[in-house]
Amino acid sequence: MHRPSAQEFLQALLETLDDLPTEFARRFEEILKKDEADRSQALRQLFEDLAGD
Amino acid sequence: MRAFRGIPGEMTVDFGKGDSMVIYGDNGTGKSTIADALEWYFTGGIDFLSHEGRQHAVSYVGGERGEATSVEVFTNGSLGGKIVIPDERSVETFQAIRRETFLLRGRTLADFINKTKTEKWKSLVEILGLEAIENLREDLQRARNELRKLSKAGDEEVRSYRRALGSGSDDVSDDMVLGSLQQICTMLGVDPPQTLDQAIDPSWLTAAAGASAAVSKGSDRERLLAEIKTLSPPAFDRRAVEAWNELVSSDRAKLLPRASLVREAKRLFETGSTDKGRCPLCGQKVDDTSLAQRIERALADVMAASRDLESVRDSVAQLADDLEAAHDLRRSIHTRGSAMELELPPVPDLPHVVLSNSVEALAPVTVDAIASAVSDLRKWDRSAGTIAGKASSAEPGSRDTQLVMLAALCQQVNAWRVAEKKAARAHRALALAERVFDAYQSRQKDDLTELLKQISLRVAKIYATLHPGENLDAVSVEPWTAKGIELAIEFHGSRQRPPHGVLSESHLNSLAIALFLAMAESFNEQIGFLLLDDVINSFDVEHRGRLAEILADEFSEWQIIVLTHDQPFFEHLSRRAPSWRRLEFTSWSHASGPRTTQYETTDILRDAHERLDRGDTHDAAARARRALEELLQEVCEALWAPLPFRRGQANDKREIGELLKGLRRTLKERAKPQLESLEPLLKNLEADVGAALNVAVHASRARPGGSEVRSALERIAVLDDTWTCPECRTRVWHRGTPDAGRCKCGQSSFPPVRLLTGR
Repeated sequence: MHRPSAQEFLQALLETLDDLPTEFARRFEEILKKDEADRSQALRQLFEDLAGD
Repeated sequence: MRAFRGIPGEMTVDFGKGDSMVIYGDNGTGKSTIADALEWYFTGGIDFLSHEGRQHAVSYVGGERGEATSVEVFTNGSLGGKIVIPDERSVETFQAIRRETFLLRGRTLADFINKTKTEKWKSLVEILGLEAIENLREDLQRARNELRKLSKAGDEEVRSYRRALGSGSDDVSDDMVLGSLQQICTMLGVDPPQTLDQAIDPSWLTAAAGASAAVSKGSDRERLLAEIKTLSPPAFDRRAVEAWNELVSSDRAKLLPRASLVREAKRLFETGSTDKGRCPLCGQKVDDTSLAQRIERALADVMAASRDLESVRDSVAQLADDLEAAHDLRRSIHTRGSAMELELPPVPDLPHVVLSNSVEALAPVTVDAIASAVSDLRKWDRSAGTIAGKASSAEPGSRDTQLVMLAALCQQVNAWRVAEKKAARAHRALALAERVFDAYQSRQKDDLTELLKQISLRVAKIYATLHPGENLDAVSVEPWTAKGIELAIEFHGSRQRPPHGVLSESHLNSLAIALFLAMAESFNEQIGFLLLDDVINSFDVEHRGRLAEILADEFSEWQIIVLTHDQPFFEHLSRRAPSWRRLEFTSWSHASGPRTTQYETTDILRDAHERLDRGDTHDAAARARRALEELLQEVCEALWAPLPFRRGQANDKREIGELLKGLRRTLKERAKPQLESLEPLLKNLEADVGAALNVAVHASRARPGGSEVRSALERIAVLDDTWTCPECRTRVWHRGTPDAGRCKCGQSSFPPVRLLTGR
């Protein structure tokens, strides 16, 4: 039985969120490569950045 | 396995080329050491020994000096290798392997089943190798939670600004705030902002403040107040007035009225308009010269008096003018002040008219009256100044306050607007985070649900095979919450989740075995063996039989290693799966560790050679003696050598002499030529046992040297080779019976064909 990797899972997820900017997908994938200690902060920053001013 | 757990020296278990094996042994014979070794090798630890104070027991406790603990595993893939204590493998080494299911022990059989929903989730996530996905989900959740807090704080900040702007009520609209701004602007006399965005524009506030200042400076009231503040009475020079009075009161002042007359006389005289010898004034006959002189003197006197008069008159006349101007100014101020509701005292009367008249009439003036008037004027000025001061000090303060109010309001509006923007941004960020998190979690749950569905089908099938006709079916593993899973079962028409309330211990154990087998089947990618250590303890004979069938039939593609202390199950499984290897642990002793039905002559010989190479002749001799025992036991067992019956573990402790006797007897009966050819070797070995391989002799002075032990080892190896096919390296009794045995390839046999032919 195939067990998806985090990368595969994320890819499939992002396809369902295709109305979000491409910037989101790119940065989300970059965050996945980060150390886990930094990731929640990076994700928060990503959402804030995309929320605009 | 070397110096590992209950093994003092070395023990090898031969699984062939991935053959399944059923291993039997009574309690304490050391069979679980195999499970421990594989668990340690593949996971880096032994769960049972992971608690504090137990880890040292991975090594043989009280083991031989300098013996390093090691486990070596041979595989047909890349997982094989040798691990030596200290185990320096990192946690990452086991990351992939930890996802594999391969070991199920009786003592932890129901561990998974008894876990909480969340623990089951975590275990399954680990087994499924979904930690990375789960970890990212947790990071997303943390980010979402932080944004939630941020959004809440933003809302609270907005509310606090609204309350401040709404005087305690947070029901504030833009129009209400604009109204407040307009009110202040009206007071300041500046144009109000049309929108709140205009109000928070710093340039608008600057312009409004400037306009306010301009309006204030240009007002009549401001000017009047400023004018009052600058009032001061005219300068009063008492000495000048007194000099005036003195002059006009003197005789010389009497000349002054004549001055014009004298000037006229002089003009007439000088122009010759008068008769000669007559006075141009009175017409009397006078001497011209004398007349001229008299006119000149009179004129000089008049002129002198006039100059004196002029010198004091200007000061007094100026005073009269100043008083008049001062009076007029104060009257004007009073009038204007009244119009502006500025209550000024009545302007005192001043003697400027009297003073002017006195100047005209060359009359003296009352100095004290003038001084008193100037004093009154000063008092009025002071009084008016005080009133103006009060009025003006209140006036700019009010404006400043209004300006401060305006600035503060604009600042609050700005802060409100900024807080609203910040809160709106936090809301947007939160909405986005929640959307992504929900989508992530939903997908994760869907994926897991799909996986669980597949596992459930297999679990249900295995469970149904274990418990046919018990009306306990539809076993499944189901998502419980976003982060929990639970086992469920249909129990006579009702859904039981978890099933603990309706299943017996043995049923729960069956469920655990079914889950274990299904998960291994579904998810194992690297490990192709399954190890079940004493898992059938709670099963009755019938259910043990069904498990044997499942393992033999449905898992024939797997390498199954079953450890049991239940002999009927061992025998049943051996019959049900004849291709499986069998291994029996017969005894365990502290000195030599576990004894099994698997002979280890080759390994013991190799160990003896290694010790001899290290110069450890004593230990090498002991190992060589043990190898000879092992070999003779194997041959005697295989050839059914007639030996006296012994009960229990004593059977494993036969002396070499007894075993040689049994061998000779059986060879004499079935392969006499072979006995004859072997007899010299056997005699030499007997001699070795009494000398080179005699441990007691090794302690004496005349102890044998290494070369003698090496020779003995070579003789044992020759005897060992006697029973091994040179082609396929299997024993000559591999197939058949002791009366007619042969090796795997058929090239060698017992009794030896060549010898039989030669008979």
